[in-house]
Amino acid sequence: MSISRRDFLKSNIAAVTATTVGIPVSQVVNAADAEQGWQWDKAVCRFCGTGCGIMVATKDGRIVATKGDPDAPVNKGLNCIKGYFLGKIQYGEDRLTQPLMRMTDGKFNKKGKFQVVSWERAFDEMEKQFRKTFAEKGPHGVSIFGSGQYTIPEGYAAAKLMKAGFRSNNIDPNARHCMASAVVGFIQTFGIDEPAGNYDDIEHTDTAVLWGANMAEMHPILWARVSDRKLSHDKMKIVNLSTYSNMCSDIADLEIIFKPNTDLAIQNYIAREIIKRDAVDHDFVKKHCVFATGPYDIGYGMRDTDKFAYEAEKDTQAKELKVTLDAAEAIGQRRKEGEVVKQGNTKKPVKHWMIGFEDFKKGVEPYTLDYVAELSKGDPDESLASFKKKLQELADLHIEDQRKVVSFWTMGFNQHQRGSWVNEQCYANHLLLGKQSLPGNGAFSLTGQPSACGTAREVGTFAHRLPADMVVMNPKHRARSEKLWNLPARTLNPKVGSHYTKLMRDLEDGKVKWAWIQVCNPFQNTANANHWITAAREMDNFIVCSEAYPGISAKVADLILPIAMIYEKWGLYGNAERRTQGWREQVAPPGDARTDVWTLLEFSKRFKLKDVWGEQKIPGLKSKGFEDGKLPDVMADAGKMGYSPDDSLYKVLFENDFAKGFKWPDPVAKGHANSTVEDLGVDWFVEKALFEEYAQFGRGHEHDLAEFDVYYRDDVRGLKWPVINGKETQWRFNEEYDPYCKAGSGFDFYGKALKALPGGDLDGVTNKEKTKLAGKAKIFFRPYAAPVEQPDGNYDMWMTTGRVLEHWHSGTMTRRVQELHRAVPAAQIFMNSDDAFARGLARNDLAWVESRRGKIKARIETQGRNRMPKGTIFVPWFDEGVFINKVTLDATCPMSKETDFKKCAVKVYKV
Amino acid sequence: MNLSGIAVSVQPQSYNETMELLDALPGIEIHYQDTDSARVVIVQEADSIDAEVEGLKRIKAVPGVVVAELVYHYFADDQDTNSPTPPDLDTASGISDSVLQRLNPN
Repeated sequence: MSISRRDFLKSNIAAVTATTVGIPVSQVVNAADAEQGWQWDKAVCRFCGTGCGIMVATKDGRIVATKGDPDAPVNKGLNCIKGYFLGKIQYGEDRLTQPLMRMTDGKFNKKGKFQVVSWERAFDEMEKQFRKTFAEKGPHGVSIFGSGQYTIPEGYAAAKLMKAGFRSNNIDPNARHCMASAVVGFIQTFGIDEPAGNYDDIEHTDTAVLWGANMAEMHPILWARVSDRKLSHDKMKIVNLSTYSNMCSDIADLEIIFKPNTDLAIQNYIAREIIKRDAVDHDFVKKHCVFATGPYDIGYGMRDTDKFAYEAEKDTQAKELKVTLDAAEAIGQRRKEGEVVKQGNTKKPVKHWMIGFEDFKKGVEPYTLDYVAELSKGDPDESLASFKKKLQELADLHIEDQRKVVSFWTMGFNQHQRGSWVNEQCYANHLLLGKQSLPGNGAFSLTGQPSACGTAREVGTFAHRLPADMVVMNPKHRARSEKLWNLPARTLNPKVGSHYTKLMRDLEDGKVKWAWIQVCNPFQNTANANHWITAAREMDNFIVCSEAYPGISAKVADLILPIAMIYEKWGLYGNAERRTQGWREQVAPPGDARTDVWTLLEFSKRFKLKDVWGEQKIPGLKSKGFEDGKLPDVMADAGKMGYSPDDSLYKVLFENDFAKGFKWPDPVAKGHANSTVEDLGVDWFVEKALFEEYAQFGRGHEHDLAEFDVYYRDDVRGLKWPVINGKETQWRFNEEYDPYCKAGSGFDFYGKALKALPGGDLDGVTNKEKTKLAGKAKIFFRPYAAPVEQPDGNYDMWMTTGRVLEHWHSGTMTRRVQELHRAVPAAQIFMNSDDAFARGLARNDLAWVESRRGKIKARIETQGRNRMPKGTIFVPWFDEGVFINKVTLDATCPMSKETDFKKCAVKVYKV
Repeated sequence: MNLSGIAVSVQPQSYNETMELLDALPGIEIHYQDTDSARVVIVQEADSIDAEVEGLKRIKAVPGVVVAELVYHYFADDQDTNSPTPPDLDTASGISDSVLQRLNPN
């Protein structure tokens, strides 16, 4: 390259960088790009739930440059290091471009070696195996492992095919491991999902309280905004509550290191202080809230039988049936130490009832400073006095009269065996104070994945869900969905399917024999992995993995389908602040890789209505209007609606008249290609049709999305739903900002779910008559519960897991970017140096980490970015070579079914 | 060749000293200075992405630098993006042996 061209490029880059971050520049830059033949287009980051906007430049079918989008309100031109390398994630050397199936002598063989097959052959085997399992086991013998990284059209197509086509509710996303507890917290408290506020809360607030959320590494751009606020607003305070010291502690005013699970106690301490200091906003509470509570004996989401347990894990598993209360639990639950409590409410953990304010006071009464401090102090080297002072400061900050407070959390609260409880408690404290649904004042559940909100939650790709917050158990919701989907009555299955971890257990016990993995890595991301790997490889089942790179799930699968990555397809995501954003296809998928939407639609062509809409067995189905254990034959009703038994699911569900109304080519494409449309060989705009059909569910039902084309306008960078008359909603439930609120209400918590409750006291229901709670939010009392597995003489340390800044999830994408790989090439064991010394370990030594369930080895790090207190180690999960989920425990929050990845007992010793 | 546009915020009190230190770093050029907001725009040139990231770490480590973030990434001439398929690939299948090998351990 000539010197003058290089200088020209550099000047251009400098000018664009400057304008991106708002430094005034006097030269015109756009002409330069056009001259080079580059085409810039807006897009969304592939990675976390922050949802940064980026710009992608393409030339001759390749991505040549990326930059932060200066017009994106989320990040205003900034990227974190993962976002910076977005242009490179699809060009890894081992990118999958051909279907691969395990074969021996030209036939499928589960024990065979992977060989390249055609798409046709791949679908032939998928269909054959599907029909075999469907005949043997019915709709709940098949499954889809879905994703919070699905685009909206992908998730919608998958959910519709499974639920309306195959009548199965066995579709559940990896978002179950991520946001399920948050969702339960929302539904329980507000009757509707997703945050009330938006990211602008950061620029309005005086306080950011982080609960087990390492924002500096996991939501770096949001952290940049919080840091900015701290630098520019004198009053701003940051509190970092965590089980170990991390990068957020660097600028936090208050760092509180606490013991696993004791966030339950700390939040009750805050509630108790709020009441004690008479800081309750009684007007707000009286007008807009009620108090509630539920049972404590709800188990830990583990199997209720030890039939499959390894010998070593039986003692932990036994607690699913009964638990002996320790001293701290006894105090927190108003019972006796040593009491043996049968876990009687494992099947109905979500039930709750109204209580009075006096009951709530009684519930939090034991959570004194002394009790909570002694219970929750997490750093053995910190003095009790210092810790107490910090708890008091934490309460002070919440209670200070004119101080605005935003609470942030992600996996520390959600991946928690009482995750739904801690979510509810956070809302409880904000509601008690009247600090909710206001600019800079409110509880803000941060989302981990790029579209856990936009797709998994809003579209409803869950075992119990339908779109727009509806659920399969509710006959009215099913009826509405059947109407929108043009299905005969009673097509939809009222029995909740298996959640993500349960799908693994179902594979283990042979209930599920066909699984399709889409946009996730279940065999790397699920706790207690040895069980599931064995099930996948040894049992009689057929596992299909749609993937871009050969990760663990691909390796244990029977068939691998090569899949288009983010900028190789049209898509939309919804981020943590309810912002739906879209991008166009930028480059074609490589080789024979195809879009997920294409694979779903092609597969649907293989099935006729008569294959799936006859009578079907559903073990355990018990629902009004249905015979026990089965779904009715709906072919007669289908005939009345004009369907023929030989109609394919493709024609009925996808290529229908509504969809065909969206013609391709479409001017909104601005010349960009659509590989789904090309590969299907059709003239209708598949992704747009799917989006518009889906949007019908939410419009007028508190989930309004704008029209597809609006998201693709040059002057739009996503919109926060509900979008009413083209206007997005900034703060929900606040009449000033949310058009769904009743006039004159001030605040209207209009969510409809679970808004009729019986009455009772702290111990149970005393009055079965239900009170209607329209417009109200619930302030829950929840007690402290001890972790089900704790360090003991044998496994003497806590282990927690999580991510690191440079890698996304299981590393299938980021580890293919050389620089990210080299920045953090392998997972390490972050350990306190005294703990290491006591075990004869030095920094960089290779050590085993062993639990009751399995063991892995990795190198010790005593000086890393995570500074561990004595007694706790941290091992990230991005590295399939350090397969930490072999060690973790598959206990879940019994209400949300979300796995607690954050606490189990291990021992560490030299290799 | 990789070129990055980097936005840097510096401590206002030590602005001049920090500018000198930044200027002295190899492979970087200071293009814009906004003294009002104590921010500068640097363009860094590096042979490989590895070197690019090392360079960013060096910038971040300069005393007086508060924030340094990559904004613009140019890699059109970067050899890494054109990873050539290995010469020994199974031409009929179009999938490289190394990938198949990884999927079929021993």
